[in-house]
Amino acid sequence: MSDSLAASATLSRDMVRTTTYALVVVAALGASVPLWTGSMPFLLILASQAVIAAIVALSLDLLMGSTGLLSFGHAAWYGFGAYLTGLAAKLLTPEMLIVLPLTLVATIVLATIIGFVLVRQIGKTFAILTLALGQIMFALVFVMSGVTGGEDGLQGIPVPKAFGIPVVRPDVWYWILYGVLLAAILASFHIRRSPLGKAWLAIRENTERARFIGLDTGSLKLLSYVVSATLAALAGGLFALFNGAASSDLLNWFESGKVLMYVVLGGVGTIIGPVIGAAVFTITEHYVSSITNSWLIYFGGFFVLIVIVAPGGLFGALSSLWSRFGASRRGAAS
Amino acid sequence: MLAASLALNGLVMGSVLLLFSLGLTLIYGVGRIVNFAHGAFFSLGAMAGIWLANSGLPFWAALLIAPIGVGLLGVLLDWAVFARIRDRPMVDSLLLTFGLALLITGVLYELGGRNVQILAIPSALQGVVDIGAIKLPMYRVFLSLLAILLTIALLLFLKNSDWGLRVRAANDDPEMGACLGIDRENLMHSVVGVSAALAAVSGVVGAPIFTAYAAVGDKILILAFMTVILGGLGSLRGAIVAAYVVGLITVFGEGYFGGQLALMLLFVLVMAMLINWPRGFFGEGRTE
Repeated sequence: MSDSLAASATLSRDMVRTTTYALVVVAALGASVPLWTGSMPFLLILASQAVIAAIVALSLDLLMGSTGLLSFGHAAWYGFGAYLTGLAAKLLTPEMLIVLPLTLVATIVLATIIGFVLVRQIGKTFAILTLALGQIMFALVFVMSGVTGGEDGLQGIPVPKAFGIPVVRPDVWYWILYGVLLAAILASFHIRRSPLGKAWLAIRENTERARFIGLDTGSLKLLSYVVSATLAALAGGLFALFNGAASSDLLNWFESGKVLMYVVLGGVGTIIGPVIGAAVFTITEHYVSSITNSWLIYFGGFFVLIVIVAPGGLFGALSSLWSRFGASRRGAAS
Repeated sequence: MLAASLALNGLVMGSVLLLFSLGLTLIYGVGRIVNFAHGAFFSLGAMAGIWLANSGLPFWAALLIAPIGVGLLGVLLDWAVFARIRDRPMVDSLLLTFGLALLITGVLYELGGRNVQILAIPSALQGVVDIGAIKLPMYRVFLSLLAILLTIALLLFLKNSDWGLRVRAANDDPEMGACLGIDRENLMHSVVGVSAALAAVSGVVGAPIFTAYAAVGDKILILAFMTVILGGLGSLRGAIVAAYVVGLITVFGEGYFGGQLALMLLFVLVMAMLINWPRGFFGEGRTE
């Protein structure tokens, strides 16, 4: 018993080290993108999309990795944020420092109401209801097609402004998105180490025991759901402004599946893993789908394979390799 | 008049939902798997019906062959895929079936599932039945009767056969069942097979009404999920009552407000109900 405990302790120390290295590499790679894509603006746009995907992945990992609640409809909040921000920019003002906070407040209110019912359910019911929520948001686009544009999508979102200055240049956009991502990653790590993060982890490991030691599990789950939904909506809002349009595809359950794939591919609960997963996946998707149009087959097949072969995700597999390598090196030294 | 006609159509819809969600309940009861790929089995059944009909086979043959084929595929999938994650946490089974749903949908898209096709109704079932002053297409009557008959047959089989005894034992307490010598692997193979075949039957008989394309099962999957939640996850009689409730709500909602709004209405009702009765109509839903 004590052996296995010691083993898990070293593993987690190795995890921390791997995470730190990965964070530094990701931050450096991300920051260097505008330098070498100067002559290829298309790559910069692809990189910006990868960064948005990374923010969504991070938002889902805040829920899945913290409290262990599995959302199969995270695209609901992503799409909600995109449509709401797009509409607000179109109808009110293109100032992003007004429309984005507006979206966040609206998301917090709605996610609290819906989350209040959702988080009281057990794992499976929660998963099913989140999938249904995704379909409902999808349906909402068509119910309100007078406002949302229905099948055609929301077109003609004006060029957004920050402090009254129009944001047009792709590299400026990239820095904004990248800044949001970095801030979100650092905030996530901070939360993970704070008492709140510890309480969330306790709920993931054993909800009943967490309740017995006096944690208010209901409110804590709700908080994690709302935080996660809000970050996803922020990513959606940024996407709508960046892209200048939003379509109902954003709310498709395939989109939810993609977000889930980012997290599973990267490793649930590792924070940096889903970010890497999202970036790798978005770029791979772009190139693979330009070669073949049966992308869904490869996607689904790969998804199944990852769950069976590497349930800890690529990052989990890598860091266990790393720790095995580290252990054998230490063994050789002693 | 409209209301009466909608009520009848709601019963038809409820019967299809019943047949479809029974498979979902069965696979959940024995394997504790929430099968997100159940809708894909429905689409597969519908598409298989079209392929068989296009190759010149009569409707009845398609109705027999497609479910058997899909059922065998279910057995194969359980043996090759589900068996790999039998003892993993619940999260993995959800993710796995979700990936499987995407995979099957992707394959169907490549096999002609991009176009919406309609399965022709056999000549024996064409025509209209007069029920009082309301006219209901003969095919819909047949559809409901078939669904109800299959449901009763399955329930009787579960109650009286040796296989049914094993299924019920594994449903109540899988570990105790295993201790008493029930081979869980073989049982799961057969349960997934039967469940997939049930989804495929509903797909084939639904194809003349709901049409057939790669993602046709998505909507009915959501409705079936609402059904099993309303009835309580894993509760058979809950599922039976809930299927008709959901069927009626959907058809009335579509009749008066349009399809998308009906779906939202249903979702709000389910959420409202979950606040007070999280374990379904009969309080039998599992909470683990």
